[in-house]
Amino acid sequence: MEEEKIHVDVEDFSEEQFMESFMRDIQSEEGVLIIGILVALALVILTIVFFGNFWGSSKARNAVLLLGLCDSGKTLLFTRLLLGKFVRTQTSITENSSTYKSKNERGSSWTLIDVPGHESLRVQIVEKYKAVAQAIVFVVDSSVFQKDVRDVAEFLYSILTDNIVAKNAPTLVVACNKQDISMAKSAKLIQQQLEKELNTLRVTRSAALSSQDGAVGGSVYLGKKGKDFEFTQLPNRVEFIECSALGSKGEDGDADIHNLENCLAKI
Amino acid sequence: MLDFFAIFSKGGIVLWCFQGAGVTESFTGPVNALLRSVILQERSGNNSFTHNSLSLKYKLDNEFELVFVVGFQKILTLTYVDKFIDDVQLHFRDRYKNELEQRGALKFLLNNFEFGDDFHTLMREAEVSSKAKAPVSMRNFNESEKSKKTVKSMIETKDGDKTKEQGGKKSKNAKKEGEKSESGGDQAKAASKKAVENGNESLTQEEIIERNRAKFISKQLGGGKAEKPSKSPKPQKPKGKANRVWDMGGKSIGELDYSGTNGNNSSDAQNQDPDATAEPLIQVDSMKGDLRGVDYESSDDEDEVVQEEERVVVANTKKGAKKGGFGGMFGMLKGLVGSKNLTQEDMEPVLDKMRDHLIAKNVAAEIASQLCVSVAKKLEGKVMGTFTTVASTVKQALQDSLVQILQPKRRVDILRDVLEARSQRKPFVITFCGVNGVGKSTNLAKISYWLIENGFTVLIAACDTFRAGAVEQLRTHQRRLNSLHPPEKHGGQPAVQLFEKGYGKDAAGIAMEAIAFARNQCFDVVLIDTAGRMQDNAPLMTALAKLIAVNTPDLVLFVGEALVGNEAVDQLVKFNQALADHSKTDKPRLIDGIVLTKFDTIDDKVGAAISMTYITGQPIVFVGTGQTYSDLRSLNARAVVSALMKA
Repeated sequence: MEEEKIHVDVEDFSEEQFMESFMRDIQSEEGVLIIGILVALALVILTIVFFGNFWGSSKARNAVLLLGLCDSGKTLLFTRLLLGKFVRTQTSITENSSTYKSKNERGSSWTLIDVPGHESLRVQIVEKYKAVAQAIVFVVDSSVFQKDVRDVAEFLYSILTDNIVAKNAPTLVVACNKQDISMAKSAKLIQQQLEKELNTLRVTRSAALSSQDGAVGGSVYLGKKGKDFEFTQLPNRVEFIECSALGSKGEDGDADIHNLENCLAKI
Repeated sequence: MLDFFAIFSKGGIVLWCFQGAGVTESFTGPVNALLRSVILQERSGNNSFTHNSLSLKYKLDNEFELVFVVGFQKILTLTYVDKFIDDVQLHFRDRYKNELEQRGALKFLLNNFEFGDDFHTLMREAEVSSKAKAPVSMRNFNESEKSKKTVKSMIETKDGDKTKEQGGKKSKNAKKEGEKSESGGDQAKAASKKAVENGNESLTQEEIIERNRAKFISKQLGGGKAEKPSKSPKPQKPKGKANRVWDMGGKSIGELDYSGTNGNNSSDAQNQDPDATAEPLIQVDSMKGDLRGVDYESSDDEDEVVQEEERVVVANTKKGAKKGGFGGMFGMLKGLVGSKNLTQEDMEPVLDKMRDHLIAKNVAAEIASQLCVSVAKKLEGKVMGTFTTVASTVKQALQDSLVQILQPKRRVDILRDVLEARSQRKPFVITFCGVNGVGKSTNLAKISYWLIENGFTVLIAACDTFRAGAVEQLRTHQRRLNSLHPPEKHGGQPAVQLFEKGYGKDAAGIAMEAIAFARNQCFDVVLIDTAGRMQDNAPLMTALAKLIAVNTPDLVLFVGEALVGNEAVDQLVKFNQALADHSKTDKPRLIDGIVLTKFDTIDDKVGAAISMTYITGQPIVFVGTGQTYSDLRSLNARAVVSALMKA
């Protein structure tokens, strides 16, 4: 019993001692502890602020890029899709981006980005947005297509063989614009010519990829080896449609972009 | 008076435009030309541009991403235009500040910018103010400054020393004049004040005498020395010219004739060169397909970004923000909270440092300064983010504009063009020109190796008829290339053939015959090698221009070495000028592309690439990185810019 008493006493004593010593510790290291807590809080706040600033757009791919050569009508198409009205346009030197509400039942909205077509700008801006692209609308000027077929094909090739784009496989819609001009080529013709041109480009650009490591540009081979290139061989969903951003009645009338809108609604 | 005035966003949407009375042409064409050639090529240093008969002036508003352009006839000299644009810009911004501060491109589309009335008022004010300045009437003698000066002060003595004048004497004269004029104390005071200002600023007599004495002594000592060296070169001139003695002089012609050994080999062009097979380093079939980019140790950040899957964009911005964040914290602590506009003074020190950095990296001096001015114009008035410093914004903008300059403005795909020419049954003609010793013949051999690897037949035209051994050099290359790619592989026809007519003949004539020969024999490509020539040598430049004008090659390549510094600007400008002057057509053939050679000799001083592309606006088609056949690359813009911006 004495031992128990002593034991109990000792226990009580030790607890109190522990508490006291703890309080003493806090009071002596008060400065350091409080500073530590403050620093931790500050770091947390900083991280929240950083994330708040730069986490604005969600990580999901929700952008549609309007790409194409200079003067193919991308900026006008951009305005027509968003508001339906006509504006005069000049060569773009920066990109235009805005949210677009698509006309399907779900009413989903995504970002529509109009990328300048000028050769010195397009590479940098495509670099910025290619990872978030859910779909690519490639605008082609149908009236001067015969002359520009090689430039169009080269741009299309460089996009399709890009590593990130090839991996994500966004939907590709080739919009053959300027159908209001009488000399405009049809979508079918443009598709055939592009297939032929891309076939040749495959050969010149990536003939001996197996023997050479670190090749220029993307190391992606379009389509199937041994067979002529066709758009159906690509993993992406490809559609060719005709449209006219200007519209048959010019500035006052509506644009003939119903096909395009239907296409975009499916995304 | 003005032909048009347009306000549009940088994204290309026209907000408001005005067309002068009686002007029928649309302004879209000239404005697009302005955008493409000035702003996109980073030449926005001077803000005027001429296009056919129109003169265009523009102003960028970087805060709201707007461009203001005014166009008027070139022959009119309107003095009020600069100030007018500034006024219009300020007025427009003030009036539409609320609408323009919204985010997104919709703000340009949704709002109606009815600016017509304000614009007309401003224009009327500007026109009135320019007319209101009455012609300045001439001053008469008494009002002019000349009457206030003394006669002696205007005499320039031999020492060029007007200040030899003693202040005392001047004031005496002034006083005399003052008394003479009888107008009293005022004029004398004014005159004496002026005299003191003109002269010695209240020196006393003693000080003046001391100064003159010291000057006299120094003149006696230094003047003698200055005269002597001018005398010494004179007596040397009348010495006659000594006869030059040559090493090989006095030997017979027979000894000097080495053509015997050559003649045996030249008869059979298919001879295999035993040396070539012994070369261990050339790998046949290693150059198929497109050329590899220039290898550079790209920073680790880039690799990580490429390998990340879907977070590329977000990760990039996060990294950039974090790096700028810590610097930005101190910037913020310096008394600025919230967004800040960039002004010229803010950017001045950063731009000076950047300019020196670029010059240290071998960019030509005037190009570096033009680039910095252009970047300043692009950033002026821009709103900085909360976590960015001035230095980081300017650096980023400079980096973007450098990449923009190096991106080719047109499609560069030689193989595709050769295929196109082959389908049209005509040879694809490439001409190489440049100054002496840059590597034209070596790189011509490399390019022909690359073309052979891709299955084309090549004809080399030896149009260098001046330099000793030029033809033999090309013949050696031809033999080596043929031994690497024996004719059996190419369907019996030799892969490379040399077309030469010896030395001393007219280069343009040889080129024409070579092209005709190629067309008959169905060669795919003709490579024309010309003699190296200095850009100042007018007769040689005329000869080159004639060769190009007569033969109209498909591609005119200027070969320049990467070691060149400020000379690059001079070379390219003079070459282009010569080609333009001596061609008879409206649209002269200028330099279409650049071959940058000896790239392996520079470490990271890659500025020559920037200088050359900036001056011509043409892309760098090939980069030579060594002396073997496989040392041929294409330009990797990003790698070059990162090497340039590296500290």
